[in-house]
Amino acid sequence: MDKKINVLLVEDEMELAVSTIRFLKENNFNCTHKSTIKLALKEIKNNSFHAALLDLGLPDGDGLSLIKEIKNKNQETGVIIVSAKDALNKKVEALELGADDYLTKPFFFPELNARIKSLVRRLNMEENKKIVLNELTLFPEEMKVLVHNKVVDLTSKEFSLLLYFISNQNRVLSKTILGEFMSSNYDDYGFSDDLVYTHIKNLKKKLASSDCTEYIKNVYGIGYKFLVD
Amino acid sequence: MKLITKSSLTFISASVLFFLVGSIIMYFSVRTIFSSNLNDILLEKKTNLEKQIEPDNVERFYSNDVFVIKINSHIPSSFSDTVIIENRKYVLYRKIDFSYFISDQYYKISVLEPQKKTDILVSKIVIMNVGLAFIFFLILFFVNRHSVNNTLKIFYRTISKLEQFNLNNNDELHLDSAQLFEIKKMNSVIQKMADTIRKDFELQKEYTENVSHELQTPLAVINSKVDELMQSDNLTKPQMEQLAILMETTNRLSKINQALIFLTKIDNRFYTKGSTFSVNQLLKEQLDLFEESIQQKNIKVTLNLLDTTHIYMDKYLAETMINNLVRNAISHNNGIKEINISIENNCFIISNSGDELTFPSDKILDRFSKSTTNKKSLGIGLSVVKSICDLYHFELSYSQDNFHTFIIKFK
Repeated sequence: MDKKINVLLVEDEMELAVSTIRFLKENNFNCTHKSTIKLALKEIKNNSFHAALLDLGLPDGDGLSLIKEIKNKNQETGVIIVSAKDALNKKVEALELGADDYLTKPFFFPELNARIKSLVRRLNMEENKKIVLNELTLFPEEMKVLVHNKVVDLTSKEFSLLLYFISNQNRVLSKTILGEFMSSNYDDYGFSDDLVYTHIKNLKKKLASSDCTEYIKNVYGIGYKFLVD
Repeated sequence: MKLITKSSLTFISASVLFFLVGSIIMYFSVRTIFSSNLNDILLEKKTNLEKQIEPDNVERFYSNDVFVIKINSHIPSSFSDTVIIENRKYVLYRKIDFSYFISDQYYKISVLEPQKKTDILVSKIVIMNVGLAFIFFLILFFVNRHSVNNTLKIFYRTISKLEQFNLNNNDELHLDSAQLFEIKKMNSVIQKMADTIRKDFELQKEYTENVSHELQTPLAVINSKVDELMQSDNLTKPQMEQLAILMETTNRLSKINQALIFLTKIDNRFYTKGSTFSVNQLLKEQLDLFEESIQQKNIKVTLNLLDTTHIYMDKYLAETMINNLVRNAISHNNGIKEINISIENNCFIISNSGDELTFPSDKILDRFSKSTTNKKSLGIGLSVVKSICDLYHFELSYSQDNFHTFIIKFK
């Protein structure tokens, strides 16, 4: 991904917006932030985006109303709803209106990052069918990974973990964040520490046996980091 | 007892009492009237007799219904009832006794008049009257029953509307307008109450949503800031560890918040979509999700599925219910590391080996009750199961011996 990805952020909570913008910029996204529907509509008319992050409860209305405008302008813009409302009917409504993904607050940045990247990959398939990083080549569609052009046999969980690490390279990922990523819903809480440890251990072992550089580093025992020089 | 039955019973018992007492009183009063009538006849006969009596013919009057006896002194005249045996039958007579003085001699003269005919008459009159009254009461009974039934129809309509009234369907309660003051009053009070309840319910739902929204956003801000800090290069190890704890705790707070919102939603009957499915199938799906955890903890799971039990409930709640129980059995497993699950007699039974509880066993289904050793548990999973069971009137029970056992008895 050489070109920078343009992201439109529509969020009225300023502190959250500031952090999100900083995070997106650090991860090589171009980010435009708007805090109301009115301002966002103007922006959508004038510019084109790869992805849009929409908050639902905005001061002048519901972020859902923006989905149609965005998709009308450019079908390939990925829309991710970021909402505090974890209600099934809200999700269904958003997806029916054309949203591509739904993220519930509070979320973790690495998760947001992984989702934007996966979404952009999905919507621009012809360019980005594979991810190449030094000796690693990943095919997300087929869940296949090559090290030095040789297939490494990974389980689906190990593969998604590796993809998550690559999406969030050079960042400290705490056990909490990885645990949340591995478990699907909130009542998995407090259940995943051991699983995270096991999966990462297995992933590291498999990569090492294929002579892959040891990218995944332990950070002070609080988490892990996928380190690429 | 139904109101109509109760009122009918009262009516019938009052009528029976009334008939009994009434006919006795009537019998005696009619008889008194007839007696006095007989007395008049006897008095007339007496006058006639007195006119005909002469000194030498006193004895001659002696007959079937006139008795003449010599006495020594005057007696006052008096009426009485007397019984005479005629052809071995008792026959009732009315009698007048009086004395008559003639030729230096007192005579007691008794004149009799048979009461048989009047007795039959009295009975006939009484029977006729009682019969009439009975027919009257019968008509009254059915008219009353009909009118009460009619009134109750409106009442039952109100009740059936109340039964169908569901806060989750967005429709409001509309009660029929009634003519009767009492029913009208009742309907208007119920209507007012229903409107208030509906308003409160809406407010509560709004509150739940607000809590969710208002708490989750600040938590998202905290998460983002902690994550940013974590990426700094110049942090010491203790600082890093503290940040990790901060993130972990914020995450925990968010989970508690979500779990409470979920519990409130269950209690508010937010999940009402029902379908029928097999508990066995559901269990297999949920066990698949835990396959890794079970392997990793090296737990032996024994299934004993004797029946195929089908239940009707919200699919999501059913999944949550089974999921939470299985999760509980895995995460609190210790010792010989076994889980036994059986489905039989319309019951779902799950038991696991584990340490003894560090709190009273009757608290196990309460919110936030958890063992002090498991810091990562929210202590809310089992109370979610309890709430779901309560919603569907399933019986959930817990017992502890060598194993911790939970039983859900489906309806």
